[in-house]
Amino acid sequence: MATSTVLSNPVVTVNSVDISDQVTSAIFHQNVTELRATAFGDVSEKYVAGLGEYSVELECYQSFAATETWATLKALVGTTTTVTVKPASGAASATNPVLTLTGAFLAELPTNFSLGALTTASVVFHGGTYSEVTSA
Amino acid sequence: MAKIISPRVGTPGDEFDEDAAAAAGINVQALIDGGFISTSKTAKPAKTKDTSTEE
Repeated sequence: MATSTVLSNPVVTVNSVDISDQVTSAIFHQNVTELRATAFGDVSEKYVAGLGEYSVELECYQSFAATETWATLKALVGTTTTVTVKPASGAASATNPVLTLTGAFLAELPTNFSLGALTTASVVFHGGTYSEVTSA
Repeated sequence: MAKIISPRVGTPGDEFDEDAAAAAGINVQALIDGGFISTSKTAKPAKTKDTSTEE
């Protein structure tokens, strides 16, 4: 049985900046709104596809050093950018697709300062156009 | 054409195509503000007029 094992080593770029070494979790959401299309004569509910809705959630360590997380994200608040997530570091291929969200909006940059813990940031990029690149 | 400064974007010193990046949805100004790329150009020396009155 062919299975795909990903050992938590994805590549994450935000605005073309590789921040993989600061990211602990990346969730790429792909949703399509369901539109009810049931009519008289139907005996069960029917749905058709509505608008696509995409988002990427990233959990990152918040580093304030030069060209790190803070420098990458702070100027993007209130703007759109491109976010990519790739399962592994190799070239893009059918088995290592680059999931890309272009024109994704970053509404807020919440930074979590906790006693005795590394500072973290949880960001969500909403909207935009989804594409999947399978060749370099 | 901009130059790459941070290895997080590419090889430092390499050229960064701002137009292609912008077309791909990249916020180029954010990269400049964050210190990832540089658009600094070598300034031309100012032209100076010879105003000497000595003969």
